[in-house]
Amino acid sequence: MSHTRKRVALVIGAGSVKCAAALGLWKALSRHGIELDMVVGCSGGSLYAAVMALGYDVDTCERLTRELWTRKITERRDIRSVLGGFLPRLFRFDGRFATIDDRALNETLHGQFGARRFDEAKIPLHVVATDFESGQKVVLSEGSIFDAVRASVAIPYVWKPWQVGDRWLLDGCMSDPLPVDVAIREGAHAILAMGFESPYPRRVKSASRYAFHVSSIYTNNLLRANYSFHNLAHHAEIIPILPEFDRQIGLFDTDQIPYAIEEGARAAEAQIPYLKRLLDVVPG
Amino acid sequence: MSLDVTAEVLERATIVRVVGSVDSLTADALSAALQVHLDEGRARLVGDLSGVQYTSSAGLRAILGTMKASREQGGDLRLAGVSQGVHRILDLAGFTSILKLYPDVGAAVASFAD
Repeated sequence: MSHTRKRVALVIGAGSVKCAAALGLWKALSRHGIELDMVVGCSGGSLYAAVMALGYDVDTCERLTRELWTRKITERRDIRSVLGGFLPRLFRFDGRFATIDDRALNETLHGQFGARRFDEAKIPLHVVATDFESGQKVVLSEGSIFDAVRASVAIPYVWKPWQVGDRWLLDGCMSDPLPVDVAIREGAHAILAMGFESPYPRRVKSASRYAFHVSSIYTNNLLRANYSFHNLAHHAEIIPILPEFDRQIGLFDTDQIPYAIEEGARAAEAQIPYLKRLLDVVPG
Repeated sequence: MSLDVTAEVLERATIVRVVGSVDSLTADALSAALQVHLDEGRARLVGDLSGVQYTSSAGLRAILGTMKASREQGGDLRLAGVSQGVHRILDLAGFTSILKLYPDVGAAVASFAD
């Protein structure tokens, strides 16, 4: 019997700043000489998946994502869109709604990814978004990384969907918050799945928080339903790496990135012995 | 980590104590150990998971397979002493809505009241 190395995938689900835990996981893998064969990212996870896939070291990834995901990208309201939502005829509502102007987000993402393309990635990269028209999951594996990440982080009601080709794409979280199925389809044997449930605010203080809360209910239930199905329907080994955060980490709590990295590393270290044994031999 | 499985046959249910990690390297052994009891007509099973700190997808499939087989025989697989880490995984996979979980073995055994 011949033996080949098992293909290892890292899947980083939606989770904004908490996704930084993936850097801790990656640190742990690197320390033990375990290489990744692909990275899959969704929503906030797509940012981390992209910088990792482009081959930056962990410290650079931390710096880049910290510079990228700041409150600056949500400072400016999209007044015209909001008015269009309430007075569609007067303000010529264009069918896509957002409360935040996306120019700062686009500039920042462009500053990070520029014209980088998927075929420049050192590790094969797949980014998940959602087709606004059909609601279907869309897996982006070629073309502009900026376009893919911008589409994947298009949080409903916050930023407008993003056009890629002839499709308008929305946050990947709306169709597949933890896309382990992408890794299965791409032939991964061992899938390190780092997923996060959206936190519910203690108090719903505004209409925007209400919308966010309702979205979180949907996506948390979707996360469980999808995860359950893929765990039971396939024979790939899905290894959940679930950091235990002892505090609530908000959407832009970038000061918590080092903590998230630390907890990600801790959760990963607990599974390293098993992963090493699992990867040792595989029928080819 | 290897898997250690021991059993205690009681009148009301059979307690299967599991110690270790339930993953793709150990799940078949767990399924086989549970199947022995099903083959001998002992379908009322209590899985004592207080010694299990982790389960992967292979472990989830083993638990579900045994639960379905035991229910087909008129029994059930009920879990006791599930650790916080395993509970998070069961919850994420939606298992906490289909499996009966108890804080300890005594409560799980007592749940099989005739």
